Amino acid sequence: MPFNRKPQKFNASIREVEIGVGEKAIKIGGENVFPFYTFDGDLGNTPKVGVEISDLGLDNPVPGISAYYEGCTTAAEMAKKAAEMEGADFLALSLEGGDPNGANKSVDELIAVVKEVAEAVDLPLVVEGSKNVEKDSELLPKVAEALQGKNVLILSAKEENYKAIGAAAGLAYNQKVGAESAVDINLAKQLNVVTTQLGVKPESIVMNVGTATAGYGYEYVVSTMDRIKAAALSQSDATLQMPIITPVSAETWGVKESISEEADAPEWGSREERAIAMEIETAAADLMAGSNAVILRHPQSVATIAKMIKELA
Amino acid sequence: MALNGIQIFKLTPKKNCKECGCPTCMAFSMKVAQGALELSKCPYMSQEALDSLSEATAPPMKSIKVGAGDNEYTLGGETVLYRHEKTFVSKTRYAVSVCTDMADDAAEAKLAEVSKVDYERIGEQMKVEMVYVNCGSGASADKYVELVKKAAATGRTLVLGVKDVEIAKAALEVCKDGKPVLNGADASNYAEMSKVATDAGVVLGVSGANLDELYDTVAALEKSGNKNLVLDTTGATIKETFANTVEVRRAALKNEDRTFGYPSIVNVSRLARDDRHMAQALASVFTMKYGSIVVLPGMDYADALPLYGLRQNLFTDPQKPMKVAPGVYPLNGADENSIIVTTVDFALTYFVVSGELERSGVPINLVINDAGGLSVLTSWAAGKFSSGSIAKFFKEEVEGKLKCRKMIIPGKVAVLKGDLESKLPGWEIIVAPREAVELVKFFKDMQANGEL
Amino acid sequence: MTLFDVVFKGNDAVYGLTEGAINDAIAKYGEEKAVGFPDTAYCLPCYYSVTGVKVTNLKELKEALGVVKTLMTREQKLNDAFMSGVATALCAEFIEALKYIDGAAPYAEPYYGHLADAIIRELGVPLVTGDIPGVAVILGKAPTAEDAVALVKSYQAQGILVTLVGECIEQCQSLGLNMGYGVRVVPLGADVTSVIHVVSVALRAALIFGNVEPGDSASLMKYTMERVPAFVNAFAPLNEVIVACGAGAIALGFPVITNEETFRVPKSLIVQKDVSKFNATSLEARDIKIKITKIDIPVAFASAYEGEIIRRGDMQVEFDGSRVDCFELVHNRDMSEIEDHHFELIGPDFDEFPVGSKQSIGYIVEVAGKNMQADFEPVFERKFHSYINCIEGVMHTGQRDMIRIRISKATFEAGFRAKDLAEVLYARIKSEFDAVVDKCQVKIYTKAEDCTKLRHEMAIPMFDKRDERLSSLTDETVDVYYSCIMCQAFSPSHVCVVTPERLGLCGAVSWFDAKATNELDPAGPCQVITKERPINELIGEYEDVNEAVRKFSQGALEDVSLYSIMEKPMTSCGCFECICGIEPFSNGVIIANREYAGMTPLGMSFSELASMTGGGVQTPGFMGHGKHFIASKKFMKAEGGVERIVWMPKDLKDTVAEKLNATAKELYGIDNFTDMIGDETIATDPETLVAFLTEKGHPALGLDPLM
Repeated sequence: MPFNRKPQKFNASIREVEIGVGEKAIKIGGENVFPFYTFDGDLGNTPKVGVEISDLGLDNPVPGISAYYEGCTTAAEMAKKAAEMEGADFLALSLEGGDPNGANKSVDELIAVVKEVAEAVDLPLVVEGSKNVEKDSELLPKVAEALQGKNVLILSAKEENYKAIGAAAGLAYNQKVGAESAVDINLAKQLNVVTTQLGVKPESIVMNVGTATAGYGYEYVVSTMDRIKAAALSQSDATLQMPIITPVSAETWGVKESISEEADAPEWGSREERAIAMEIETAAADLMAGSNAVILRHPQSVATIAKMIKELA
Repeated sequence: MALNGIQIFKLTPKKNCKECGCPTCMAFSMKVAQGALELSKCPYMSQEALDSLSEATAPPMKSIKVGAGDNEYTLGGETVLYRHEKTFVSKTRYAVSVCTDMADDAAEAKLAEVSKVDYERIGEQMKVEMVYVNCGSGASADKYVELVKKAAATGRTLVLGVKDVEIAKAALEVCKDGKPVLNGADASNYAEMSKVATDAGVVLGVSGANLDELYDTVAALEKSGNKNLVLDTTGATIKETFANTVEVRRAALKNEDRTFGYPSIVNVSRLARDDRHMAQALASVFTMKYGSIVVLPGMDYADALPLYGLRQNLFTDPQKPMKVAPGVYPLNGADENSIIVTTVDFALTYFVVSGELERSGVPINLVINDAGGLSVLTSWAAGKFSSGSIAKFFKEEVEGKLKCRKMIIPGKVAVLKGDLESKLPGWEIIVAPREAVELVKFFKDMQANGEL
Repeated sequence: MTLFDVVFKGNDAVYGLTEGAINDAIAKYGEEKAVGFPDTAYCLPCYYSVTGVKVTNLKELKEALGVVKTLMTREQKLNDAFMSGVATALCAEFIEALKYIDGAAPYAEPYYGHLADAIIRELGVPLVTGDIPGVAVILGKAPTAEDAVALVKSYQAQGILVTLVGECIEQCQSLGLNMGYGVRVVPLGADVTSVIHVVSVALRAALIFGNVEPGDSASLMKYTMERVPAFVNAFAPLNEVIVACGAGAIALGFPVITNEETFRVPKSLIVQKDVSKFNATSLEARDIKIKITKIDIPVAFASAYEGEIIRRGDMQVEFDGSRVDCFELVHNRDMSEIEDHHFELIGPDFDEFPVGSKQSIGYIVEVAGKNMQADFEPVFERKFHSYINCIEGVMHTGQRDMIRIRISKATFEAGFRAKDLAEVLYARIKSEFDAVVDKCQVKIYTKAEDCTKLRHEMAIPMFDKRDERLSSLTDETVDVYYSCIMCQAFSPSHVCVVTPERLGLCGAVSWFDAKATNELDPAGPCQVITKERPINELIGEYEDVNEAVRKFSQGALEDVSLYSIMEKPMTSCGCFECICGIEPFSNGVIIANREYAGMTPLGMSFSELASMTGGGVQTPGFMGHGKHFIASKKFMKAEGGVERIVWMPKDLKDTVAEKLNATAKELYGIDNFTDMIGDETIATDPETLVAFLTEKGHPALGLDPLM
């Protein structure tokens, strides 16, 4: 008696969102099965991998990253190099230098970087803000304006500033809007609802439902994504059918496992290997839980995760 | 469908004899319904009741015990596919793989490496629990037994990857007391392998060329009376392995097909080959998706730190948050005069707050209160993080150890300031911002204002 | 002449002008001559928006005029007037377009004329976020130049974008007012037709931000009405052309406020003779709310001060409701009765009280709003405690007429007075409840005799009325219930169904709270649940409720009953105040509250019960609930109601005794029902409990078996 397979078929699917223009444009989402459940049905577009660079250049880098970007002096040069990375589908430019509690670069200064990077590469672009809600509500609309016609994804509009960012990116300048909420299905849903009420089309929204490094309250990320995908597919909840992007590296490179030098923790071994592993294992888990795109830093992580996706899809 | 407490209660003798260890029959019934107690603990259940209940309360996926003594592990016994539905009960266990095909010194080096990773994280000891000993094709019984002996010397629970019945028998002779898993049955040899496993009293691992073959083999084994199994779902490719592992678990839990109601073995080592980073990625994949034993090519701290963190998070009870031990945690080289920050023992709060405090670079003593493992506002609302409880903790645990008398409390419980000042005379209470991300700036400002 | 006639006449006049101008232009340049505005992809923007047809040359312009003519019907009906207004606006656009022929630059400093698409994209964002809360169109000549400047400045101070047309521009110039796009004061042009450039902004905004299809004029007008907060201030005298243009504005949803005694159309054409009140009248007419970003008081306002205690020695003055008459009150009034941000102090200010003295105080926060309901009064009022405590050096305890407030010497010395207290209440209420509060004013009474009188004649009767409403409200008398999923973060599949007689199981969310939460945050955690399709009235099962529960639990929960603990009981999260569970030997239920750490006759403590009952899973026989639910007539109504209660901890019993006894008396005629209920001093095992219940003759023993 053979095994009786019971594929889980859904009438609903995740929305497809296109980012970028031209030949290198990518599509994410579109699946009507759980993550990588190819045995159930159509995976739509395979998840995509992005490489993150920062307006601040390299901050406390590991040797492998320094070596990779050797000789680059500007963000545009780094962007070009990043775009060549094996496995890279898109580029993520973080404007963390805009944080008023950090380098506090001016909007004009950052827009200059954004333009320079956008001109340097033809890969689809994701622009991450400064993480400060006030600054982002000023900065990201300008980014959306500066990159008209490039169909970029702007990360992120949050509950506090979704109006400014959603209106600029989603309405005025026809970009894609990243809707970021804090690891809670209802908050994610609420933000999608109010963002669409603003007039942003659902097919212009990508969610960042919050992230964490494996080991750091990661169970909330898993359950939030599990529940979102379940609601989107089995409950046909249209307000949760947006694809998910997860900026993995911004989290994983900040925990002590990735920061402590070998001298501080000799038994732990190479800092670079630890940081890569934190990034790879967290990204793999994110993809399993339902991320449609992940943002990574290390060339090794990018290559490994891209290969893993290829193997699984 | 599982029975609820009331349904079970109706079948109890209702005499509150307390012989089961519970004060009342109702308490007993509720615990059985939760899966916390076996029905058989009640000495007065009628056979009829037992029969009707055992079918209904039988879990969709069996709990299988492997290993012995301190190294005994329960695999399987899951009731849900997603952790938010209930709780994942049996952690994924990790095995490091050695093989007769390896050079002796390489195998020995690998085995020596097994014990290197051993550390505590939020009350849980993290280490490699198992060693997978693979018998390469053409290896002699002697060679294999030799390797098994060396592997057994690590003190870890063994998984014997061997298809040859005679070699299996020989290997078990030297290690069966440690209750290894004999991962060797397939369609061609299951009857003999099953006998070897049963005779040695160990769990049998079953594999198949595909899911249909695996299914038939398991059905045949069950028919022969062996239900002490784990299923090796490793396929030829990563994709196939993922499909197998998910399908098996889903068949058992969602579709109530009990033939597949067994724990799984996933051999990542075989899939990733020499690609260490791919092995890391797949270790994560199969921890998320239904590997009971995941076999890895090795385990160093780089592999372990994220993996054990992930596992710890994944296998927490969604209703019971992880707790860190209450006490004083000096950060950034703090001494007894360093300023004090206090918060609750909810692990996530601890990680977020300590991370930010470390980023600030300021020497700080972080004092963790016993707040029942709840977050700041939840524990405050539940009365577990009150001025009374904080004051008591500080008087008993902190005042003797630290000289500083400045305490920074979470912004969300600013209301405690006044009460704390009156309950802890001599202390200055400072209110922190509401969100942890603002802490770095908060300390920067304090430094700028000369308050540190 | 009717208002319609005035519109028609103005429309005809403008049409005549336009026709002449187009014919002259054709004669001069020929039909193929290009027309358009610079820097826009939507030529001609207004005509294109309304019809979906682009105009590129004079020939097409002439054809367009023919289309405009078809709008100019002449029945004495509102729609005819509106369409004629639109036709007038389109004619104005044509006239303006002709000015730009051959790349001419018809507008010179300070005039702007046509505005580029880029400016609209830039303006769109602050308009959507409310950073620009409105767009004022000021037209004509103000009574004096000072009036014009004062009006412009009043809008400027509120962040409102001001556009100017006609002589008011010169008036502003004459007084040296700084104008320009950068300071959000945009002089459009001297001719009345230049007003079309601001209309063009509104219509292009609808295309760009509203995804409105060009030519879909219904959606277009809906968008401008709902999303473009523009309004017109037209100074007397009004001629027919201005009135016709005004009809166009009104058609787009923009009210016209004028100081000329003319026809009045409610909400649309409003006469305000006092030009200094144009601002307030306009904001109210267009429903514009100004965001409050800063509370202007001499001391800090932050949650960090919430827990401050002001000791007697540090105290400047104290208001103590337990000794003298004090009260705090939110009072819902009619819109016309309130002047927004008005403050009145009746009695001495804080500096007139002796240091350290005990005084009376009464403060009334009067609110009004189109969506305001009296039921929200207590919801706002409960917030006062937190608002006032957040003021540096001010302590507040209690509520209603049992309040106590202390103001520290330091805060007093910093200049904190009654008006600052009022300012905090005003600013917080306006910003936190802006969804329902349109206007707010504060009155503070500090004379003892006023406080006594108002407390007894106004405040207490209002409190009594509210309590009465609360207690008279039953599940049957309301049309809807509310869902609450505030705790889904840690209890993913749990959904509370909040009804008047069954508050949220955390004890913190009453039906009123849920209702207010829903009104204030319509996409938030509390949603309306209808109850139109009952399945079983006895256990309280409704198809609508089941559907809602399924939806909000993402399918984890199929169906619930509101009044049964045995059949499909409501689920519990983790934050319930109490748990009830059936005690089979006495045929009743026991209740344990969170504070009770001991054993119950079930053989399980509160925490053991909690671990079995929580997590959003239905556990027949066990249920989490709020304390107030115990005395509810709906408490396990399906199983017989409160007479099933056989045991609860003594403290809890004392807390609920009065109300529970009243309920038992009403339902079963039992006096002092709580005397029959066991507690931990009587029994913590079932045998002793049953013996006690038998002795007392507890009714549960004689009821139908629970299972």
